Amino acid sequence: MQPSPLANPLATVAHLETTGSLLDGIPSDLEDSVRFAGARLTQAAGVLLRLPQEVIAQAIVVFMRFWVGPDGGSLVEFGAEQVSAASLYLTTKLSAYPKSPRSIVNVYAYLSSFASTFIEPSELQVKKAEAYYVSEGTFERRRVALFSTEQRILRTLGFNVQVNLPYTLCITYLQALDVVTHPRASELAKRAIAHLNTALLGPQMLYLTHQPPQLATAAIYLAAKEVGIKLPEVEWWEVFDTDREELGFLCVGMLSLEGFAQKEKERWEGRRVPMNVEEVEKEVKRRGEE
Amino acid sequence: MANPSTATPQKGMQHKFKGCSKIGDYEMMQKLGEGTFGEVHKARHKVTGSIYALKKILMHNEKDGFPITSLREIKLLKMLSHDNVLRLEEMAVERPKAEGRKRAILYMVTPYMDHDLSGLLDNPEVKFQEAQIKCYMLQLFKGLRYLHDNHILHRDMKAANLLINNRGRLQIADFGLARHYDEPVPQRGKGNGEARRDYTTLVVTRWYRPPELLLQLRKYTPAIDMWGAGCVFGEMFKRKPILAGQSDINQAQIIFELVGSPNDQNMPGWNELPGAESVRQFGSYPGSIAARFRELSPTGLSLIKDLMRLDWRKRINAIDAIDHPYFRENPKPMREEDIPHFADSHELDRRNARGQKQALPPAPQGGTVGGGPNGEWTGSGPPPNAWQNGDRRYAMQDRGPPGVDRGPRGGYDRRQPQYDHRGPPPPPPGERGPTWGNAAGARNANLPPRPNDGPTPHTNAPRYGGDGGDRRRGAGGPPPGDVYIPSYTEGPRRSREPDDRQRRGSRDSGNSREGHHEDRPDRNRAYRDRDRERPGESRNFGRDRRDGRTRSRSPERRDRNRDTRSDDIYRRR
Repeated sequence: MQPSPLANPLATVAHLETTGSLLDGIPSDLEDSVRFAGARLTQAAGVLLRLPQEVIAQAIVVFMRFWVGPDGGSLVEFGAEQVSAASLYLTTKLSAYPKSPRSIVNVYAYLSSFASTFIEPSELQVKKAEAYYVSEGTFERRRVALFSTEQRILRTLGFNVQVNLPYTLCITYLQALDVVTHPRASELAKRAIAHLNTALLGPQMLYLTHQPPQLATAAIYLAAKEVGIKLPEVEWWEVFDTDREELGFLCVGMLSLEGFAQKEKERWEGRRVPMNVEEVEKEVKRRGEE
Repeated sequence: MANPSTATPQKGMQHKFKGCSKIGDYEMMQKLGEGTFGEVHKARHKVTGSIYALKKILMHNEKDGFPITSLREIKLLKMLSHDNVLRLEEMAVERPKAEGRKRAILYMVTPYMDHDLSGLLDNPEVKFQEAQIKCYMLQLFKGLRYLHDNHILHRDMKAANLLINNRGRLQIADFGLARHYDEPVPQRGKGNGEARRDYTTLVVTRWYRPPELLLQLRKYTPAIDMWGAGCVFGEMFKRKPILAGQSDINQAQIIFELVGSPNDQNMPGWNELPGAESVRQFGSYPGSIAARFRELSPTGLSLIKDLMRLDWRKRINAIDAIDHPYFRENPKPMREEDIPHFADSHELDRRNARGQKQALPPAPQGGTVGGGPNGEWTGSGPPPNAWQNGDRRYAMQDRGPPGVDRGPRGGYDRRQPQYDHRGPPPPPPGERGPTWGNAAGARNANLPPRPNDGPTPHTNAPRYGGDGGDRRRGAGGPPPGDVYIPSYTEGPRRSREPDDRQRRGSRDSGNSREGHHEDRPDRNRAYRDRDRERPGESRNFGRDRRDGRTRSRSPERRDRNRDTRSDDIYRRR
């Protein structure tokens, strides 16, 4: 096996500089919005499918990998919803929790039946079944689209569907730092895991640029600051293969997400982020007219 | 998950993901054979000139999208790197050309190997010397040690899955049935250990299937691969499979005839295994292994006995097999480079030459079935509604506990049984051929998908609680179990840095003094070149992309496409 079983394939600078969407004239802030919404959609669908967070996180990373680089998928050709569904389908297929195309299609139909991308939790309960009913013909079409998108993801990623996650590392590091006996250790751990979950969604795509040990280290650093638990005075992050600069970068990235999410919510208040090819096209046109 | 506390990422291990290369990078040369899920072609890389084997991935059953077996094999191979394990170089894609075909064809690119062992042994002109057999066996054990050490069970050990090139290198191929092994790995001098969880017993081609699997042991261990290695060892002397059972029950019987009947000393716990009932009536055999392998020296005999030990706990593991005195006595194992060359032998060629089909060894039925409460139906005769083509739940047949005679083959297998000099049984449907080659051509049309990926029962509860009620593969079927090759976390399988590769490559194979170094520089150069070209190309990417893909911006056009697509569906159904 390769030397480090914990390393992920990372995006190169060229990957990050330009994306397929950018080459097709999609504004990069729109792409950020769509990716953010797509990652959140994947998370929501995963929760509704009762998948473990590990599987959902892998699906989100696969989803994110698909878009980067000049050879990456373009929003002109693929809708974020379709890619999200296929990423989740593909990831669950390789996991211990395979989900049928039927379940996937149903869940995505349900989630797309909301008028706004940013759903209030209270709204989730008041749905009428007719709003998300999938007819046999629609199902067939979506199933076929699911499979062809799945294949495009595999090709675009060169079958690099393996994703290593920082969650278990994070716990191990907390143990190594000897803070698990602290009275508020569980608060600390929860906060760190929360940072890791949030970082999945961000436009910085930290999971594509940094290895799991660095992500885990940064999450712990931030969480400890927030919860107010003292960590060793020394540069403990070095032990976990993270240098000060990376740590700083990751902390800034993770912290910036709250503001980004707030802004996104205000910006798309009461509207849907364009999640398919037609909607993206309309949005680009609308912007052109403004 | 790998144990996070022991592994740390290494600096300089920064991999990137890149898409598949194009099939246009390769020049197709000839068809080598037809494997289970696709044709295999020999091809030359246009830039480097290196020769590869390209295995086309067939989409037999599009019910579930990209075939899980291929996906799993690819994922696994991407993580492996060893001289004695077939390396997956990359994936190549053939983009759809015509309007009508919308899905791309994918190829697995592996190094070209001149022979498979089964084919080589079938070739009357090829004579193995004992020193050569030792060389191959050592390589096989090294490959197995690597796999087992990395928590991988191959689960389809057989001569046809061992590829050999003209530089004397042997590589283990076909990981379509392989899976992660959740238990502690074998330790020196301690046999193969014991498993704590259940795995599916529907694995390993019958002739190479160990007695504990025939008796339905579910908590099996790497010992199952070692039994197969023992069969291969014997096969190299006999030039034909040594245990060619006609049915599962017959397989058990001839095993006991060879190595002796099971009892509480030589196979503790055999009596409690689900399949024990049917073998009790066999009568008592003393074992005939010494008489059958007169050509073996006493140490050689001891090795085969160690490999074919009924007690799976005490069966020799790969680490100890490498150290077996057999490999230190004369004749000493040949060096790889001293092994004589043979004319290429691929199943397809030989089949053509012989003008008849070679009978296949019965295939493993794969990792899965749904059906009975325990995942295997246990009644006699096929289960009701069993033979829906394309339904992998039931796509296997000659299966189930020994003692149950299976009856005729499924209706969709219209082949006439073919016997040839190897005198094996007609292969059951759902079988898997060797990696490439073998008489797959005729059966492809009706080939049921390999049944190794549905849910499989396991006793351990899923780690994260319920499976969300998503039981599409059979009402009341067992929760998915064996489906899972867990993410033993890893990065991309290899660094592109030459020094790194070298180090790993040479670690395990004392016998490999040449060969790989030759083509490595090529490959490294190719990668470097590719990387170097990238920045310069970037300006043209937009245009290239547009050439390569059809992008329709106009809504009508898109609608039209959509219509044809839906027509397609209805046609197919």
